[in-house]
Amino acid sequence: MEVMFQAIINGLLLGGVYAAYSAGFSLIFGVMGVVNLAHGELIMLGAYTTYWLFDLFHLDPYLTLPFSMAFLFLFGYLIQKFIINRVIEQPHIMSYILTFGIHLMVANIALKLWTHDFRTITTAYSGMNAAFLGVNIPYARLITFVLALLIIAFLWFFMNKTETGRAIRATAMDKEVARLMGVNIREIYAVTFGIGAAITGLAGSAIAPFVIIYPEMGLEYTIIAFCVVVLGGMGYMPGALWGGFILGLAQSFSATYLSAGISVAITFVILFFMLAVRPTGIVGKGLVGQ
Amino acid sequence: MISISKKAWTWLALALAVMCAAPWLFTENQYLLRVFTLIIFWIGMSGCWNLMSGYTGYIDFGPVVYFGIGSYVTAIGMTKFGGSFFFCAPLAGIIAGIVALPIGAVALRLRGAYFAIATFAFAESMKQICLEFDRAFGVSLFEGSHGITLPISSFENIFFYYCILIVTFAVMMIHFWIEHSKYGLGLKAIHEAEDSAEIAGVNTMAIKLRAYIMSAIFIGILGGIEAYWITYITPSDVFNVHKTVQMVIMTLLGGMGTFFGPVVGASFLTILSEVLGTEFVENYLIMVGAIIIIIILIMPKGIVGTIKEKKNIRFI
Amino acid sequence: MSAILECKEVSKNFGALAAVEAVSFHLEQGEILGMIGPNGAGKTTLFNNIIGVYKPSRGKILFQGKDITGLKPHRICRLGVVKTAQIVEPFRAMTVFENVLVGALHGGGMRMKEAAGKTDEVIDFVGLGGDKHKPSGAITVPGRRRLELARALATNAKVLLLDENMAGLNPNEIEEALILLRKIRDAGVSIIVVEHIMRAVMGISDRIVVLNFGAKLAEGPPREVMNNEQVIQAYLGERVSAMMSETL
Repeated sequence: MEVMFQAIINGLLLGGVYAAYSAGFSLIFGVMGVVNLAHGELIMLGAYTTYWLFDLFHLDPYLTLPFSMAFLFLFGYLIQKFIINRVIEQPHIMSYILTFGIHLMVANIALKLWTHDFRTITTAYSGMNAAFLGVNIPYARLITFVLALLIIAFLWFFMNKTETGRAIRATAMDKEVARLMGVNIREIYAVTFGIGAAITGLAGSAIAPFVIIYPEMGLEYTIIAFCVVVLGGMGYMPGALWGGFILGLAQSFSATYLSAGISVAITFVILFFMLAVRPTGIVGKGLVGQ
Repeated sequence: MISISKKAWTWLALALAVMCAAPWLFTENQYLLRVFTLIIFWIGMSGCWNLMSGYTGYIDFGPVVYFGIGSYVTAIGMTKFGGSFFFCAPLAGIIAGIVALPIGAVALRLRGAYFAIATFAFAESMKQICLEFDRAFGVSLFEGSHGITLPISSFENIFFYYCILIVTFAVMMIHFWIEHSKYGLGLKAIHEAEDSAEIAGVNTMAIKLRAYIMSAIFIGILGGIEAYWITYITPSDVFNVHKTVQMVIMTLLGGMGTFFGPVVGASFLTILSEVLGTEFVENYLIMVGAIIIIIILIMPKGIVGTIKEKKNIRFI
Repeated sequence: MSAILECKEVSKNFGALAAVEAVSFHLEQGEILGMIGPNGAGKTTLFNNIIGVYKPSRGKILFQGKDITGLKPHRICRLGVVKTAQIVEPFRAMTVFENVLVGALHGGGMRMKEAAGKTDEVIDFVGLGGDKHKPSGAITVPGRRRLELARALATNAKVLLLDENMAGLNPNEIEEALILLRKIRDAGVSIIVVEHIMRAVMGISDRIVVLNFGAKLAEGPPREVMNNEQVIQAYLGERVSAMMSETL
């Protein structure tokens, strides 16, 4: 029985982690229709920001979050403004081949700069758990879980209650009408990508204390983010939570009862199955891309 | 067929003659022979990707799965069942084609990024399956991460050159046929405006599926040949996404949906990667990433495609 | 005269929205049937149901007596029912000739030589002979409309569904388009014309069907339909209709 509780808790915590770093992906797709294949690199950059600040300046990882957010916001804003914006009027496949090129460049430049070495962050409180009813809840993951909820809540607030947020939603709904209303589409896109990158970088920093950090880590995360978002519904923000939890639980159970290797295969099988059967996501609110 | 000029036939025959004679120039220098073979190999691989994605516009991010399937069919066929290479390599293609049928039928109902990720997901799943299958079912078939060692051939490098040349030539002939046939026109119509094509009587699903399966068959055979040539395969080699990247970038650079696109792209990038040195693949990949970005921003039709457009010509 | 195309109680729902509601009508062999109705009345959706882009939620569609409900669009095209789109979509990278050739080869099921001959014939028939080898993106708007028609005709269509084929044309161009439509009908093709340009529709149609909110309001000869009170109401609103009946 305890084994099952642990599997459930693990699954939910894992789901929270997944939701945290997938929300940005969903945002970017929902607003601009861009499938950002360089998404994992945003996580990687966030993790490395935390790592270097920790390693060089001995900053506690959780204190590095604002730096990571600021840096990734700028990074994302500039990339959208000067590169991706050039293809927004073209068919969408152009944008994702483009982001794929960005993925290759960023991952390999990072590889040249920081080598293949795996890096980890160990603090005084690494590996500490809360024990509750016989199950272990690692603090680091719990914090990330809470963070995921905060990110989703923040996005909801931002999108619905601020002027920029409303402009973003208007642009997402109908680009041409928004343009007629005087919205600067390119600027909105740049800001949106910046925000998406910032929250993704934030998530990357939050997971840095408990994952292995290396330059090529990005691709795996991009795949998971895609899976989470397809499960939850592309462009539907709370869907990141749904997708995260479903995937987290599926992986947790298969890792507990079958094997770790199988749980990775499960991700892809679920993804393929979802795409084949219900591309609008579990709740059916996703936008099916063109 | 739309009339093919005598001139085109002559050029084709000439090219084939040159390709057949060429390796004899390199017998002194096995390294150059290997590079030349590699160029022909990548023309074949990117040609296969072009057949599917270049012509239809459906960006496939998982073609390497058929390479891997082909490699494993050949490896298992030769080691566990004692089959001969001449039987196993074509079989590799056939089995790849058989797998491609249901996968394509499902995936081709999706568009854009969804199709790309679905094909990628399938490729990664197959890699995982090959890694975990033996352990999960208690058998000794795929040998997981240990990999399979094929019987060492008594053939020289030149033998493999000809094997690969045959496949690549077949792929290019299919290109040729596409450029001049009813089927090819259907493919292009699908690329331009799929819904209009369907309404105008084009059986879009059947045409897409045929392209997907043809592509899979030849990639599978190339996988089989490669497996026998390098003698040792592991899942992370033969299902490596890097091969997909190569196919995509070579076709993109050369020009998607053109006859010469894969030829130009594959030649250029193979030589580039040899020049940059295979030691630091990061350098090569940074270049590739930069090339992708530049191409998409400036020359989305690739080298050949842009030339064709500006000068409004047909090469073949 | 027998009905070449028949819709029986065709309905199409998108979730909770009833886009087409139990529409029944028929198209006679060799006639030009006008279909009118305010925007959003369901005309395009109905067309899409007929040619198989959507599968009707309920109801049947018969072509030459055979049930074609829910067949794939390319099969329906090959049987002889073709549509032109509201928003013209030529195969941009191809020439005019190649565009029409696609229709002849795939829709018409002909072999290359025969198809090429048919393509030449059709292109001349619609009057695009001079533009034959131009890239299809480079011709005028009325030219593109005629290209749509040509591609549809090349499939050996017996029924043509024209969805606002005259949108964006000036009065002269509309006259020419009408002449072409009569030519097509005289060549043996039955046509349903959806248009907002009343003069054009009234002038050319043998009968008219009126749709509103997804349902059929009226069906009959033009005069009759235009004096139908429900139709007047749908177009001009209740107040005006009441005003008209007061003054008359």
